[in-house]
Parts: sequence; structure tokens; C-alpha cells
Amino acid sequence: MKIPTDPVTLATPFFILTVILEIVLGRFGVLKARYEARDTGVSLTMGLFSTLGSLPIAGLSLAGAIWCYHHRLFTIPMTAIWAWVLLFLAEDLTYYWFHRLSHERRIWWAAHVNHHSSQHYNLSTALRQTWTGGVAFTWALWLPLSLLGFPPAMVAIQKGISLVYQYWIHTEAIGRMPRWFEAVFNTPSHHRVHHARNPRYLDRNYAGILIVWDRLFGTFQPELDEEAPRYGLVHNLGAFNILRVAFHEWIGIAQDIVRQPRHALGWLFGPPGWSPDGSRDTSASLKAQWAARNAAAAQPASLTPAAEPAE
Amino acid sequence: MNAAALIQLAVSALAVALMTGLAALATRGRGAPPLDEAAARRLLAEEFPDRRPEALWLAADGHGVIAREGERALVLARIGDGYLARELAWSAALSAEVRDGRLTLPLREPGAPRAVLAFAAWPPEGARA
Repeated sequence: MKIPTDPVTLATPFFILTVILEIVLGRFGVLKARYEARDTGVSLTMGLFSTLGSLPIAGLSLAGAIWCYHHRLFTIPMTAIWAWVLLFLAEDLTYYWFHRLSHERRIWWAAHVNHHSSQHYNLSTALRQTWTGGVAFTWALWLPLSLLGFPPAMVAIQKGISLVYQYWIHTEAIGRMPRWFEAVFNTPSHHRVHHARNPRYLDRNYAGILIVWDRLFGTFQPELDEEAPRYGLVHNLGAFNILRVAFHEWIGIAQDIVRQPRHALGWLFGPPGWSPDGSRDTSASLKAQWAARNAAAAQPASLTPAAEPAE
Repeated sequence: MNAAALIQLAVSALAVALMTGLAALATRGRGAPPLDEAAARRLLAEEFPDRRPEALWLAADGHGVIAREGERALVLARIGDGYLARELAWSAALSAEVRDGRLTLPLREPGAPRAVLAFAAWPPEGARA
């Protein structure tokens, strides 16, 4: 099946042009943008080969979508505006849960971690896409949409639109959008929080297009002026080797399972940083440590007796 | 893969090379400054907020630092214009080897196999024990 219009392919010249613009305008201080050549090279190369990475499993995912559509509950017309509105909401909700799972379960984090591995946050970071999403079967989360009755081509187009939308929010050049926009949509400010490794910001703002899902499911965190995001991973990578970027977490999982096979399920489906003896840090433990530090720092002040009024 | 797809891939690869080159050109001479002691302490406090280093040793080029807190070594090594931060046993840091002015600390992680810092000699005076 050929997708009638692939938004990502259509947007590629725009991606190239805007990355060039961000580099040049950042260089001359016209806008805020921090680039590093090897980091940029890794991000762009990951993007270039990400489509190839999904090829081995493309047939299976397509067959799955078609099978679901053949057994659909309803027939939803591709030409109706209401169908597109409905799909926009349903696909964006699916994306939210896909993205949340990708952060909260190690097997899916292994496929997603490369997108967060840059210590920079610029438009090239948006293109640092996974090579292993296909083999991690993350595409299966979209199958219910075809089972509901959305044609697979329609779902593919909407997924593309979502991916293109999420491109422009990977920038430090835009501070904050108007309040109404920040309230409803995912923005550069919200997504900077998502890419930050500060404990306060970890595992927040999973939205694709609509930030309302995070508000609804309790994972929203606004960007705070007093705490600038520090980008990258809790344990940053020690190399620009693209194979390490793409596969390091998969190798880590394999090593852990070989060492302790009876904990294989935990190593695969536990949160990133999970270990049987609790010796590693998860997002939850890092947040708890951060909260404890803050509480300890605040305590002496609250225990200090009120000062005598000056005479 | 058909000819059109190959051409598309080749042109995309060229675009990637050109944009990476442009990034290199645009950032030339604008890298992060080398660490001095104050900057190293600030960065250590950020990366290891629960640790209180007793002593620290800056790399010769200012692109890294090794700090000690009890039996733990806190390591910062420059990667691009950011830093790799890791904690390891002090004994492991002590036994690391210097070759050609580079100290290689084995981290043995798939994403960070080692940290390399510029040290003419290691361990420095006062770092033993």
C-alpha cells in the first residue's frame, strides 16, 4: 500500500532549511541556539537512517494494520472532516501513551533513549529518531485505531502530521507562546522540560500535539524560570559513536539478562534504572532524592524561631 | 532498493554532511571554556548533589576533573561541549593507567566504556591511600 501523502517526506526540505537557519542565526546571536558539530552529525545521521531501521518490520506492521482494518468495528470515511478531527484526537492520545510507555518501561526506553541522548536542544535534536522502534513493536499501539475503522493510510498520515508538528518544538529559540496556546498545545517550553534531566523535570510532558493529555493524566510540568533545563540523559553517553547511541540500552538489557536471567522480566519491563537490589536510580528514586534534599534545605529555615520585632 | 531511493539517500547523506560541516564552522572557537577549580566544583555539585568532595584534581587541559569523597571517585570528562559524569570506586580510579598523557578510567558501560582525561601522571601526590 502506498501512502498517498507522507507529511514527513513533504516537510524534509523545510527541516533542512530551518536547521541551517537556526545554525546561522544562532552563530550571529540573532536567536538562542547551541550546536556542536559531532552532536549535530549524530542527530542528523540517526534521522537519515531511521526509516531504514523500520524496514525489517514494515511488512509485519502493515499486515497488522490491514488485518485490523479488515476486522474493523466501524467504517470511517477518509473524506469526512469529522473523521479527521476524531482521528487527530485518538492518534494524539495514542501517541501520549506510546510516549509515556517509552519512558516508563525499559524495553521501550531502549528504542527511545537515543532521541534524548543529545546534551543539546535544537532543531537537529528533533531528527535524532529511533532505529529500533519497529523491533520494539511500538507500532502495535496504533493498531486499535485501524480496528476501530480508521483506514491504515489515514492513520499513517496523521502519525506523520504529529511527527512534523513535533519538529518545531525542539528549539531554545522560542521562549513561550501565547498563554492560550501554551494551555492547549505542546510547545518548545513544554518540550524543553521533557528533554531535561533535572530530577524535577524527569518523565514529564509526554504530549505529541495537545498538552492537555499531560494535564489530564497528571504528568504536566511547566518550565520554571528559576530552573533552566539541563538536557540529555541522567547518565550521559561517553561517545559520539552512532552505533553506541542507537544500541547502548539494548546491549545493557542483554548484559543484565545474561548476568541475572531470573530477573529477565524486571530488566525488560521494569522502569529504566530498575534493578533487583535497588542499587540503581530510577526516575522515581531520583525525584525522591531531590524532594528529600529540598525538604532538608527548607527545614532549618522553618525551625528557626521568628525574629523579635525590632524596637 | 530502487534507483530513485538510492539517489534520495545519497542526496540526504550529502545534506547531512553539509549541515554538520556548517555546524562545525559556526561553532569553531566557541567551545566551552576549560574548567577551573570553581567551575569544576559547581559542576560537581550539579552532577553529584549528595556528594561533598574532599579533594579534586583538574585534568591538564581543563577538560575534566577527578574528585574524591571517601572511597568514591567522582569523574567529569568533557564530551563535545558537555560532560560525562560518573561515580566509581576510588580504588578503581587509583589503579587506572596513564598512557601518552591520557588517563583512561574504565567505566564498562555500553554507552560509556571509558572516561579519558589529560593527566601527565596518576595518581598525583596526596591521592594515594
